[in-house]
Amino acid sequence: MKLAWAGLVLAGALLAGTQDSELNVNTRYTVETVIISGDGWTADLASDQNEERISPSLRKQVAALIGDKLNPAALDDLAGKLCKEFRARTVTHRVLRGATPQYVQVLFEIRLRPTRFDVSVPKFLYASEQGFSGAVEATATVGRHNGFTFGLVSDGDEMVERYTGLVARYENTRLGTDRVRAGFQFASFHEQWNSATRNALAVEAAPGEAAGLYRARREIAPEITFVLARPLTLTVGARFEQIQESAGAGLADASNALVSDVRYRRRLDDSEYRQDFDADYNLRAATRLLASDFMYVRHGWTFRYALSHGKHALSDRLMAGLLAGRAPLFERYVLGNSTFLRGWNRFEADPLGGNRVVHNSVDYRYGPFQAFYDSGAVWDSGQPVIVRHSLGMGMHQGPMFLAVAIPARSGKVEPIFVVSMNY
Amino acid sequence: MALHARDKLSRRSWLLAGLTVPLFRAEAEPLLNVTSDGDNLHVAAPQLHFLTGAPLARLKDGNLVVFLSQLTLFRDDHVTVIRRTPERFTVSYDLWEEKFQVVMAVVGRSAARLSMEETENWCLGNLAISAAGLEGPRPFWLHFELRAAKEKEISSVAGDSGISMRGLIDVFSRKAGADEQRWAFHAGPLRLGELPRTVARRIRNG
Repeated sequence: MKLAWAGLVLAGALLAGTQDSELNVNTRYTVETVIISGDGWTADLASDQNEERISPSLRKQVAALIGDKLNPAALDDLAGKLCKEFRARTVTHRVLRGATPQYVQVLFEIRLRPTRFDVSVPKFLYASEQGFSGAVEATATVGRHNGFTFGLVSDGDEMVERYTGLVARYENTRLGTDRVRAGFQFASFHEQWNSATRNALAVEAAPGEAAGLYRARREIAPEITFVLARPLTLTVGARFEQIQESAGAGLADASNALVSDVRYRRRLDDSEYRQDFDADYNLRAATRLLASDFMYVRHGWTFRYALSHGKHALSDRLMAGLLAGRAPLFERYVLGNSTFLRGWNRFEADPLGGNRVVHNSVDYRYGPFQAFYDSGAVWDSGQPVIVRHSLGMGMHQGPMFLAVAIPARSGKVEPIFVVSMNY
Repeated sequence: MALHARDKLSRRSWLLAGLTVPLFRAEAEPLLNVTSDGDNLHVAAPQLHFLTGAPLARLKDGNLVVFLSQLTLFRDDHVTVIRRTPERFTVSYDLWEEKFQVVMAVVGRSAARLSMEETENWCLGNLAISAAGLEGPRPFWLHFELRAAKEKEISSVAGDSGISMRGLIDVFSRKAGADEQRWAFHAGPLRLGELPRTVARRIRNG
């Protein structure tokens, strides 16, 4: 008897896969819009094609339903992809009457697990000049909007120093309203210094002008983000750093700063071309009001524009920064890492970092292949500005990126090999 | 003494229970009317309403719902299976016209613009099992099963890589869940000669 039932389901399965359009009477109707609702949020893809909670490629696939006849098989497929992307418990789809006759609306409902646990590798990098850098994080999401993250990091790429330690973070993605998010981070790092930095500091720094080396750093950073008008956001907060000097008795200094960040991110997507605009201004102001031993103001500007067409993608990113006052070394600008002036050794460009920086990067991608041209300068105010250039090419495969970068200079050619993930 | 009284009471309880079980069974068993047109047997179950609950909600959300049915003829008081006839009904609900459409997979018939009651009647009215081999005076039994297939059942047996026998085994090995829509009707003992006669049905496709 079971075999007979099995045969019937089998026949049903085959028919369901092939003749869905004939079997579902609603396939004659046109999709008016697609609405996706998650835990506490809803996006109508007919009016909001820049919904950032969904990855661009999946958003494009879902939005492609609009204007076509209803395709139930496609809905099942997309529900599966949404489920995978959001790591949801279930994603169901419903079809509702549209606002006008002969049109229907598709509604995807994402139901997340009450508590989710994820382990991620937000950074992994090997560069032939500076060795490995990496971070691994475990995040428990409790309820709808509370995320608790614990991570370990060892990074010799981002700053003048290599910092190694742990990070604990709490994030609330909806503080009363969709327009307010809050976060609180605690971090504790142990620092290691390159001999070039030690030597440069011993030779160049005049007493009282630059901060010294430190062997440990502890950070507490509360912040709150307001969505002013999508896609414009404002983040305000504070960063309390306690640094333990390497020299002498190892006294602790405080570097406490107010932080703010204004960000604008926009995507324009038509059938053939996609354009991305990204603009960011951030400010850190260390002041005696927060009992800081350092007093400085740090400005940073970033503009990025990207144009994509089929397999072609061209992007340009301009970054500039200005630091005024006496700041600890971790606040100084660095070029010659895996992001800026790729191919250069940052200890050669400036072993102490600089308080002025300008950098531009042009990237061209064709499918998995990428070529880039970086140029920039990092210097201290009052010193001559030396503009450096580098060229490179590489290949993307999923989150992995393999590249060869060559600094442009007269004389010898010393390429740097970079293997990275999530860059 | 007390023990004796308990014994008497217990016997009476058992006797009452034994007498009432068939009555409850008769009352609980849904009615299955069986008719014959000479070639085939047809069934009708006036109490059966399968477009309810979760399947109906899924239909009104614009989804397909698949119902699997099976008619089984038995001899020797449900011991010997004479034959089985499975069928699959794919039902959808027109969101704008608020009418149902049904497609039968095995016999290849379909109907559209039906009300809920018409849909249920149409499905049962199109079920038939051959009466070939049934001898007039010899008793037989008829079993009718209907169930709403879950989405998982369809997807678990047919995936990207083809048909999964393991999926099939899993689907049919498990017991019906509490929320599962499943109906079963029994009729018998029946004799072909005693069944009400109907005119042979010719149902137009489409």
